[in-house]
Amino acid sequence: MFQNSGLSLEQAPPISVVFRFFLAGSLFGIFGGVWLMMNGGSALDSSDSAGVVMTHILTLGVMLPFMFGALEQMLPVLGGVVIREPVKTAIRTQYPMLVGTIVLLCALRTSSPEAYLVAAILLSLAIVPISLKILSSLLAVKSHSSSSRGMGLALFNLLLLLFIALRLLAARNGLGGGEYYPELKSAHIAFGLYGWIALLIVSVSFQVIEMFYVAKAYPPALSHYLPPSLVILAIANLIGALHYPPLMPWLEGAMQLALLIYAIYTLERLYRRKRRAPDTTVRFWMLSMLSLSLSMLISIASKIFTPAPELEILNYILYFSFASGVLFAMTYKIVPFLTWFHLSSEGYLDAPMMHEVISPAYGKYHLWIELATILLAILSIFVPALWTLTGASMALSFIWLTIAVGGAWRKYLYTHRHSKRFDMGSFRL
Amino acid sequence: MQISNYLIHEHRECDNFFAKAEELASRKSWEEAEKTFLEFANKTLLHFKKEEEELFPLFEELTGSSDGPTQVMKYEHDQVRGLFGKMAEALQKRDMQSYLSLSESMMILLQQHNMKEEQMLYAMCDRMMPMEKKSEVIERMEALKE
Ligand SMILES: [Fe+2]
Ligand SMILES: [Fe+2]
Repeated sequence: MFQNSGLSLEQAPPISVVFRFFLAGSLFGIFGGVWLMMNGGSALDSSDSAGVVMTHILTLGVMLPFMFGALEQMLPVLGGVVIREPVKTAIRTQYPMLVGTIVLLCALRTSSPEAYLVAAILLSLAIVPISLKILSSLLAVKSHSSSSRGMGLALFNLLLLLFIALRLLAARNGLGGGEYYPELKSAHIAFGLYGWIALLIVSVSFQVIEMFYVAKAYPPALSHYLPPSLVILAIANLIGALHYPPLMPWLEGAMQLALLIYAIYTLERLYRRKRRAPDTTVRFWMLSMLSLSLSMLISIASKIFTPAPELEILNYILYFSFASGVLFAMTYKIVPFLTWFHLSSEGYLDAPMMHEVISPAYGKYHLWIELATILLAILSIFVPALWTLTGASMALSFIWLTIAVGGAWRKYLYTHRHSKRFDMGSFRL
Repeated sequence: MQISNYLIHEHRECDNFFAKAEELASRKSWEEAEKTFLEFANKTLLHFKKEEEELFPLFEELTGSSDGPTQVMKYEHDQVRGLFGKMAEALQKRDMQSYLSLSESMMILLQQHNMKEEQMLYAMCDRMMPMEKKSEVIERMEALKE
């Protein structure tokens, strides 16, 4: 009965499961910065292959592994789901994902059908088994929170997203459906941005904002209905793409309005949080939610007025700032906690404390680097010569993150190797 | 009254004291921080006592298992109790950095513990127990003192 209830001592997956994903995501982030340095403004142009590559570096390369790492860590706590054979599952997911992402980036750049095929197979192998595994254990859980339900929905949407991508690929290679290509592509983008990334962040935040910052819970109407609404709207948008494209701006507009409301609520919750001690991760969340509100405002306004191309790039930057802000906030909480938690539960008396794993000052510097990156990116829209500097700043931001994750992992292994372990087993009953 | 309402309310109450103590420590208002921390620790320990002495035995009886979830919850209580000692020590030494670091760990540890109780254990109790039994447990928990 309790096997699946998450209430077992072995519930926390080994630290390597989470850290390997976080490290891979950070490394791809560095690559994203380098790609921006190499390609300048065309890396943000969605009609240029350099831009499509950039988007996939950020989504598949950075977001996807962070999602899996965070899910493996959080689902046992939030949803009472235990993922069996976590290390094996993580490795079997990670390698095809790494190689598949790299091959896909090459395919997007060269349009080679063979590369597309290899990437499609590898990414399906990476994403489908782990998603089905987590989804099936989520379905076995009786009482769900808005968070665990939302994360399940995001995972389900990820599978749909993969399916749309495969469909898009087929259309591209003359295997039917080519007449819908532009609509399918825009549904793919909306699905990825809102149905997957935003839904995932929204679901995580419902739990995390309240819990990490002692803030008031979200109104039940919002936490209850926002995730399924996003799913329904994203799917309707997809159907609209195939059957009635004029509906699409309305459906997208509805998602954007919902996210705008969510962002404003989150800002209010954060602003009035009870935990007032200085905390950089709060700043990251605020930056993220401000970016989301602005981005959604611009998106909605663009439906009414014809947008200037500059505005579209600004929107892209803001959405990136939204996703990366949450990613950094979560990493700076999860990584030090896990390092401390695993070592101290394993009985290492000199386990480093959270602030010794990653010092608060280190996170604060990162916030400045991130702010510089966003500001530089916005300036670069008007002064294209600055794109190189923006890329460098973005690379630095992710180097900073890589060092944080890698350094924590090293401290963990070092304590393991060099410290004396206190056998709790002989001490307890 | 539902068991979850009663105990979740206590979780939130403890959170408030925790947040206050942390803020005071970050401003180096040591005396007040000590007082609030003590309040937080005592409230939490009493809450643990209520669970361990009243709720968990009943849960074990209902599910016919004493080495399942309740064992894990007790183990986590022990972890939290261990941290109380270290936090008190940091307060005594007026060591802000180490207090804030410990309180960060405390928060996540306690929150994930509470979450598991709220979403699984309490929810199960509320589902399985008849109403009059619930009122009886709550009364008995209410009667417990530090
Ligand atoms: Fe408890
Ligand atoms: Fe409790």
